[in-house]
Amino acid sequence: MAEIEYKSVAKSFDQVSVITDLNLTVGDGEFVVFVGPSGCGKSTALRMIAGLEEASAGDIRIGNRSMAGLAPSERNVAMVFQSYALYPHMTVAGNIAFPLKMAGRPAAEIADRVKEAADILNLGPYLDRRPAQLSGGQRQRVALGRAIVRHPDVFLFDEPLSNLDADLRVSMRAEIMSLRQRIRATMIYVTHDQTEAMTMGDRIAVFAPLKDGYQRSLMQIGTPDELYDRPANLFVARFLGSPKMNLVACHGGDRLRFGSLDLDAEAPAGDTLLGVRPEDLSLQDAGVAGLAGRIRLVESLGAEYYVHVETEEGELVVRVMDRSRRPVSGEAVSLRPNRQALHLFAKTSGERLPRR
Amino acid sequence: MSKRLVNLARWLVFALAVLVLNFPVIATAITSLKSEAEITTNASLIIEAPTLANYAAVFAMADRFDILHFLTNSLVASLIGSALAIALAFPAAYAMARFNVGRAWLLPLVVNLRAVPLIIFAIPIYLMYQQVGLLDTRFGLALILALVNVPLVLVLLASSIADLPIEIEEAGRVDGAGTLRLLAYVVAPMSLNVVAASSVLAFIYSWNEFLFGLIMTTNKATPVSVGASFFFAASGGGVRWGVAAAVMILATLPPLVIGLVMYRQIGRSMTAGAVKG
Repeated sequence: MAEIEYKSVAKSFDQVSVITDLNLTVGDGEFVVFVGPSGCGKSTALRMIAGLEEASAGDIRIGNRSMAGLAPSERNVAMVFQSYALYPHMTVAGNIAFPLKMAGRPAAEIADRVKEAADILNLGPYLDRRPAQLSGGQRQRVALGRAIVRHPDVFLFDEPLSNLDADLRVSMRAEIMSLRQRIRATMIYVTHDQTEAMTMGDRIAVFAPLKDGYQRSLMQIGTPDELYDRPANLFVARFLGSPKMNLVACHGGDRLRFGSLDLDAEAPAGDTLLGVRPEDLSLQDAGVAGLAGRIRLVESLGAEYYVHVETEEGELVVRVMDRSRRPVSGEAVSLRPNRQALHLFAKTSGERLPRR
Repeated sequence: MSKRLVNLARWLVFALAVLVLNFPVIATAITSLKSEAEITTNASLIIEAPTLANYAAVFAMADRFDILHFLTNSLVASLIGSALAIALAFPAAYAMARFNVGRAWLLPLVVNLRAVPLIIFAIPIYLMYQQVGLLDTRFGLALILALVNVPLVLVLLASSIADLPIEIEEAGRVDGAGTLRLLAYVVAPMSLNVVAASSVLAFIYSWNEFLFGLIMTTNKATPVSVGASFFFAASGGGVRWGVAAAVMILATLPPLVIGLVMYRQIGRSMTAGAVKG
């Protein structure tokens, strides 16, 4: 019912193009995360659904109804802002009730629904307080309450957790996810945090900043696993995953090689980059077939080590889960990739190449 | 111990500053409490025989110059004049701050209008007022006061609205408020402190306005700024300084009281807690 569609949408501010040729459909009841570095237009894309920005070209449809020319108040969407954006002069109850009051609902219904929202978000004891008397997490819960109280078709989240400290962010993330179980509305969630994107979204849409020379805004959309396992281009490959994917240039010759190791595959024509995620590399003793190198730095994260290895192809990062032996810096090693988990990209276009 | 000394020194400096800056006011207040005889013989700030005789004399002249009538005229005209200015300027300021309506030319134009000597408007307005019967009416005076106040109020409101966090208004729009309801329920409550500050300023300007009070009124709507001057030569001969001082003090009280009452409102931040600061 509340399917959201971008049809060839473009947006520019004062001649500066921020979004171009955006085609994207968010299914009814789906939770899609827009992710990308700053300036990639992900928030602008969201704000265009809310009607806070007007598309420069193309059409945005909600529930197969064009939104062109409709004011934000006529779109039945709810939005949660990064800065909370609470009404400072109203109590918590007043804030949550505001959308219903604007919709002209009867007082008794407003009271019931405010209470319902407050119960869901554990805001009961704070209903008479003002935003200034609340902590950051409580304020963002009020903002959530103000959104859910209206039972809207569409929920928009614009980096709602970015202002919270790390602990609170994790618990609010869980809170939003459990909210999502209760309310089957279409949700779009904007973030620059890939952990949020990977853990929350049914699907993730990765945006690239046009100012950095990318030709289109939407680089890839898919489930978190699809994006992680089969990034469609270098931008997505680099953006998702921490530590980042290792990229190694493939040198001429018709066989695909990794150092001294033959990867049993034909090398594609043209300049190519071979991508291997840090967890798909393993440390071998020096002399074993693979890419030779020397350990420069070992970062211990408790559960795992990030081992930085200096090779002739540059520095690669290996994620070592085996904690029985701590790698030592200065040690000579050989790196071996998991052949099932290799990614090939054309160097100039950045597009993913098929394995042959 | 030394902290108390510092405090003491601080208060001495305050007291001195207050004394110097307010000396004319203090001198007037003291003069109003001296008898006519004492004013000529004792110029010091110490009153030998305090008396309310000058105030009594002011009210005794009510048959010729009614101070309460002048005060009422000023109060009504100034209240309407400043309220009207706010009512006119608030939506305009919002349009300028958020929709950029006329921000480039209308705002500078209106503000520069304030720099033009007001006497230029006197004759056309007088002739117009004559036609429509607004001469010597409180409402007529209030209309002019509102126009005199609009530039200042507009600048204050436009800049303060531009400084409000825009996300709150965006939230209001998404929550279903159109522009008018957004103004009434969200922007206006958040602007209360600036509205209060500009009301006080507008009221004070209105209260002190002399030129139009002099030209546009003859008797029924004479404001206290003009009316007070009548008392200076009330007794025919020379100026009765005691009476003049008493009139001046009476004329100063209402704006003083309003300023004090509104002061707390002005200093308050209206947006605390609204957005991550």
